Amino acid sequence: MNALAESPRAVGGRAPDVFARGAWQPMREHDDDDAVDFAIVGAGAGGATLACALARKHFSVVCFDAGPYWRPLEDFASDETEQQKLYWTDERISGGDDPIALGGNNSGRGVGGSTVHFSMISLRWRPEWFRSRTLLGHGFDWPITYDEIAPYYRAAERALSVAGPVRYPWGPPRGAYPYRPHPMNAPALLLARGAEALGVRWAPTPLATVSAPHGKSPPCVYRGFCNFGCSTNAKQSALVVWAHQAVAAGAEIRDLAMVGRIETDRVGERVTGVHYHRAGRWRFQRAKNVVVAGYAIETPRLLLNSATARHPQGLANRSGLVGTHLTTHAGPGVWATFEEEVRWNKGPPNMAVCEHWNYCDEGKDFHGGYAFMSQGPLPRAWAQVVATARGLWGEALRAAMRDYNHNAGYVPVAEVESRPENRVELADEVDALGLRIPRVTFGYSDNDRRLQRHALQFMAEMLEVAGGRDLWTSDDTSHLLGTCRMGGDPQTSVVDSDGRSWELGNLWICDGSLFVGSGAVNPSLTIQALALRMADRIEALAAQRAL
Amino acid sequence: MAEGGEVVRNDRYDVLAKWSTPSFDALTRSVISRRLGAPPPRRFFSATEFAVLEAACARLLATPRGRPPIASAIDDDLHAGRGEGFRRPDTPPLGATWRTGLEGLDAEARRRHAGCGFAALDGSAQNALLHAVQVGDVDPSRFGALGPRRFFSEVLLKAVAAHYYSRPEAWNEIGFGGPASPRGYVRIGLDQRDPWEAPFAPAARGKP
Amino acid sequence: MKHALPARASASRVEAKHLRAAATALFASVLVDSAIEHYRGGFENPAMFAPLVASALGVAAGAEAAFGGRAPARARAGAFVLALVVGAAGLGFHLYNVLKRPGGLDWLNLFYAAPVGAPAALALAGAIGAASDHVAASDGRAGAPRIAGVPAGRALCAVTSLGLAGTVGEVALLHYRGSFQNPLMWLPVTLPPVSAVLTARAATERSAPARRRFARAWLRLTAWLGIGGVAFHAYGVSRAMGGWRNWRQNVLDGPPLPAPPSFSALALAALAALRLRDREDG
Repeated sequence: MNALAESPRAVGGRAPDVFARGAWQPMREHDDDDAVDFAIVGAGAGGATLACALARKHFSVVCFDAGPYWRPLEDFASDETEQQKLYWTDERISGGDDPIALGGNNSGRGVGGSTVHFSMISLRWRPEWFRSRTLLGHGFDWPITYDEIAPYYRAAERALSVAGPVRYPWGPPRGAYPYRPHPMNAPALLLARGAEALGVRWAPTPLATVSAPHGKSPPCVYRGFCNFGCSTNAKQSALVVWAHQAVAAGAEIRDLAMVGRIETDRVGERVTGVHYHRAGRWRFQRAKNVVVAGYAIETPRLLLNSATARHPQGLANRSGLVGTHLTTHAGPGVWATFEEEVRWNKGPPNMAVCEHWNYCDEGKDFHGGYAFMSQGPLPRAWAQVVATARGLWGEALRAAMRDYNHNAGYVPVAEVESRPENRVELADEVDALGLRIPRVTFGYSDNDRRLQRHALQFMAEMLEVAGGRDLWTSDDTSHLLGTCRMGGDPQTSVVDSDGRSWELGNLWICDGSLFVGSGAVNPSLTIQALALRMADRIEALAAQRAL
Repeated sequence: MAEGGEVVRNDRYDVLAKWSTPSFDALTRSVISRRLGAPPPRRFFSATEFAVLEAACARLLATPRGRPPIASAIDDDLHAGRGEGFRRPDTPPLGATWRTGLEGLDAEARRRHAGCGFAALDGSAQNALLHAVQVGDVDPSRFGALGPRRFFSEVLLKAVAAHYYSRPEAWNEIGFGGPASPRGYVRIGLDQRDPWEAPFAPAARGKP
Repeated sequence: MKHALPARASASRVEAKHLRAAATALFASVLVDSAIEHYRGGFENPAMFAPLVASALGVAAGAEAAFGGRAPARARAGAFVLALVVGAAGLGFHLYNVLKRPGGLDWLNLFYAAPVGAPAALALAGAIGAASDHVAASDGRAGAPRIAGVPAGRALCAVTSLGLAGTVGEVALLHYRGSFQNPLMWLPVTLPPVSAVLTARAATERSAPARRRFARAWLRLTAWLGIGGVAFHAYGVSRAMGGWRNWRQNVLDGPPLPAPPSFSALALAALAALRLRDREDG
């Protein structure tokens, strides 16, 4: 283990400046005893975005992250194994009929959270999904509409310099993306070829990595290690965008600071701050508001672990819903071998997308939708897929892997129903800090399975007409959502439409836990848009003295 | 490195030839140097467990025993507590799962081969045993809560494959471009390659 | 700037020399640019060697004329005609390259497939080179030089103006692809269009000396912009990941170094065309 993992970097009035080797940016620091306006737990897509937006509005903010403050230019090797250090690999239990793979599959650890290792896919929700029950007859309605979030989608896209096509084929008419699209790599071209053969539209995926210089970010060099950390800083992760700008705007970020418990006052009606473990001991930061942004497993875990006599079920959990309605995106993959040299590791992993089945409901024997993208796994990850999905080993595995440069495939981001039995709870086991670890339970519904069958069939057909042979399938999931759902009714939700918990007026949630349904696109853009909106809402409430 | 059935396809291509080019940066060089250097000592597994694992790695990858040092890498991970970060309910932590699984494999070997342990059997007998564990045709009670099939797929094979394909010799074999920073790729379309990539080679579609 | 007009005879020779220099410069730009771009494309189609050959011959023809010009006129003319033909064919090839990709004629392919307008530069160089020989040959003959029945000044003003406009279009496309991320990227799509318009106007109308002065000044500015563009593009290469050390990627992926001087070459040709035009007007 290197020294990096042991000692925090954001100390002594400065934070790492990710844009230059060894450089620092000045950082305002707060005393633990100063009650800051907002203590945010988690510096990812939700937390770092909110920290930045609130700091710009002159709130005092301390944002905690359990993991390190990465320096991409220096810390990120071109090596899958070395880069496992980006993931949350503290022990968790994952079970149910269809256990979700955690760790590197969906859980980051460090300033920037999972956006440090995400695929940069920046898509908006189909507007109807915000009113899925009313308009589409399934799922749930959000307490906010697409129109309310649209300006924040635009702001997030601008902040991330999303590189997208001049005309995006799906969704309501929209302005131009901030940057022009990237060129299509070989697997993306195969998706386009297949789509044209089947008569459905396709698009270069809107990606949060720059196609031309932006500020201190050089353009993408198409090295393909996106899921293992971008060492060029072309990727517009929350580390490089929001955290950097949050510090510049006066926020404090505390790395290697694990928040273990949220404290409440004696009456049990307000939170008073957070207990966090940093540099070898427990500390307590006073705060006027606490925002939990640890993503859909750590957020409910923290709330449940903060149970008190007055809140025996955990904080914000009078409804009993904290941790429930866990949802994810199913990602069953179809893979094939092509005559052409594909060499899919070149460039971001998902350079082309087809959202046809998000906007077309004809002929479906299920409700919901899916988007699917071209793929580009690196060898270590790919070998694991080949070995576990096909059961190949020995010469058979070696032979199959030798077609690496000729493989291509599609994986969807497939909608999964929100059901109470899919949940995050506490196990009895504790971690090294004495905190009870999460136990995740998940299983698909019949509808989920019918949807996945449709996806596999359609994607297989598309692969074949594009020239793919020797098709086979695999199973996977991506993303974690829904465990602290937003709603209009305290009995059926954990937080209101502002992300404020019903039970404790100064406890907020700002991450993927808020999601009321899974949707069928990658959630990061929506999470960031919600965070930007939440900052505006907080500002408005503060002005009304309603905080 | 073409011994004991190991077929190298792209013997004109060596990722490490790019060591001093802009495809490698200092951090990546140090990481790969360490991986290619002396294997870490055995600190987690017992000598018997390690011998079973080493023999299993050789069969699972069709490589000579002990080369490359996959068993050492797995031992090192477990010693350092490096894992994937999740496990099924009612299963013990990863280290215990490994020990149980390797012991189960060894016990099945002794059961079938009159007390001879897995490591001492010949290659085809070892293959047969591994296959049996893979399909669950073994005494399940010897494989703990995870069971033989899941141990084989989700623990043993998954780790062995991951470690093998983390190594430059495996990258050479499959024609993977390897490390790529600061220099990435220019020609990323179909049937295109940069001069610093592996040469073209047709798809074998499973044939050697 | 007042000066005694030189006798028509030697004046044509001066213009011819400048036109030749412009053609040579444009050929050189095309040679390096097409070499780099077609190398990037791996010379997938053997026809991709043609513009290298044609532009190299064009450079040789232009330079040879400058250093004594003992080659037979037909050899030079052949080189210029070859450039015209290969350039025109190139337009077809590039258009096909765009159309054959998924999506056909869409923004993505306009951005990243073969640049549709680029081969026109080769044809232009050939046209200007041929014109320069024609103008030189008319040296000593009575009357203003004519090209295909049209006064040379008019013809060349039209051609160079179109050339400038086309180059602006190409730059606009690529700088749009680059999202105009640096404000200086607006320069080559705002300055040269003015030159193009002024030159076009000179083709069609008798002009007052003041307006011609303005046009000449703008064209000189455009010529300098072409030089400055190389420096800007070099800066662009240096700020890509790995900078010059990663030249094997950044010279190919980054802003094209040999492209901006095409503005200089065209401006030089347009300046010569304007002087011819001046004399046509009397």
